[in-house]
Amino acid sequence: MSQPVTTNPFIIMLINMTVVFLVLIALGLVIRLIHVFDPTAKKEEKPAQAPAPVQEAEPVPELPNSYDGVDPEIIAVIAAAVASMGGGSLKVRAVRPLEREGWKQSGRLGR
Amino acid sequence: MELINAFSVSLQAVWTDSGFYNFTAGNAIMILVGLVLLYLAIVKEFEPLLLGPIAFGCVLANFPNTGFMEEPGLMQAIHYGIANEIFPPLIFLGIGAMTDFGPLLARPSTLLLGAAAQIGVFIALVGAMLLGFNVQEAGAIGIIGGADGPTAIYLTIQMAPHLLGAIAVAAYSYMSLVPLIQPPVMKLLTTQKEREIVMEQLRPVTKFERLCFPIVSAILISLLLPPIASLLGMLMLGNIFRESGVMDRLSDTAQNSLCNIVTIFLATGTGLTMTAESFLVPQTLLIIFLGLVAFIAGTAGGVIFGKIMCRLSGWKINPLIGSAGVSAVPMAARVSQVVGMKAKPGNYLLMHAMGPNVAGVIGTAVAAGTMLAMLK
Repeated sequence: MSQPVTTNPFIIMLINMTVVFLVLIALGLVIRLIHVFDPTAKKEEKPAQAPAPVQEAEPVPELPNSYDGVDPEIIAVIAAAVASMGGGSLKVRAVRPLEREGWKQSGRLGR
Repeated sequence: MELINAFSVSLQAVWTDSGFYNFTAGNAIMILVGLVLLYLAIVKEFEPLLLGPIAFGCVLANFPNTGFMEEPGLMQAIHYGIANEIFPPLIFLGIGAMTDFGPLLARPSTLLLGAAAQIGVFIALVGAMLLGFNVQEAGAIGIIGGADGPTAIYLTIQMAPHLLGAIAVAAYSYMSLVPLIQPPVMKLLTTQKEREIVMEQLRPVTKFERLCFPIVSAILISLLLPPIASLLGMLMLGNIFRESGVMDRLSDTAQNSLCNIVTIFLATGTGLTMTAESFLVPQTLLIIFLGLVAFIAGTAGGVIFGKIMCRLSGWKINPLIGSAGVSAVPMAARVSQVVGMKAKPGNYLLMHAMGPNVAGVIGTAVAAGTMLAMLK
């Protein structure tokens, strides 16, 4: 075991915190560089822009899938969850938002 | 007559060889400590997966004349895995396979929070040196504030192996107490307005970024800080298993069976270091006290830096995610979430807090690396 460079605790703190910050800042730069040079990112952006004219040509018909202001995606998720539990012949008749937060919270906090 | 004589001599030999004859008050106290820890693990569920084997290892270590450390066998093999830094990197392999760096990649600025929270490590180091520990011991004690068990063990074994038991117990106990230690500090340092900040949704991260990050960061950090190359290298290898999409079997083994097996060895082995001679010293109480200081200071450092980032970003960053910069994955992030929800129901900070949380793991490892490079 060689002799430490310094034994002044405050200098050790200063040097080490600086190194920790510098290394993590360098990592942050690496992350940004990866993001900039990401060849796959552009490919994903293009199709996102492409469907725009298609939507104009063929307006999406007003599907009867929004009940009481519930997001159709939420309805799809709930229907999928019900179907996955084996209820082959079950139908989701209504999805209504409730004001009570208790179930939501316990669902989110519970493991 | 000869028969009786032989009887008494051999009975005496059995008696003097037995644990009862060699049992000391220290052993009794340590077995009691082990049982209390076991109670906390099983009944109070304080990190039971770690504290359970540590506690029972402590009980086992305090039976006299077992020769655990003198004769080759299972106990010595386990000790070998700890003393030669084999188990902590293997645990990191599993952690890497479990970790989603996505939130960090989406908002790299949260790396700074992971760095700021390491101040706890060094404040405890200063405190330890002022209390009379030597510089290596102080570094090992400080790392408790990193809230990262494997890194703490990794560093302690190299800097102050005689303190391993106390440091590991302090680190794991405080990690399980994170939900009690952090919220008061967080509330004290933030205003209601800050706690109510709702953060913007994170951008999606591509598979390319997810795969490049572990590779590039492993290369960068290993070149910068060779002493932690095995820790960081294994962490990132585990993450490559996870993100590649073609190594699912390896990823599954790393994060489940292998991680469980190594946890058993690492935790039991840590308990085995808690012999009466090494644990029942006044230093232990100081270490436990300094560990608490380290946790509080780390939390405060993260939150204060979060406040600075909040101002600089134009009130877009909730300072509560700063406390997650002390590693303790994912408990510290969950604490940010809970405190945020209390300030404003429906404010979900969990994903945002995962950024500083995983940054804290890297930050603690880097802090350990710089200390090894500088102080060892």
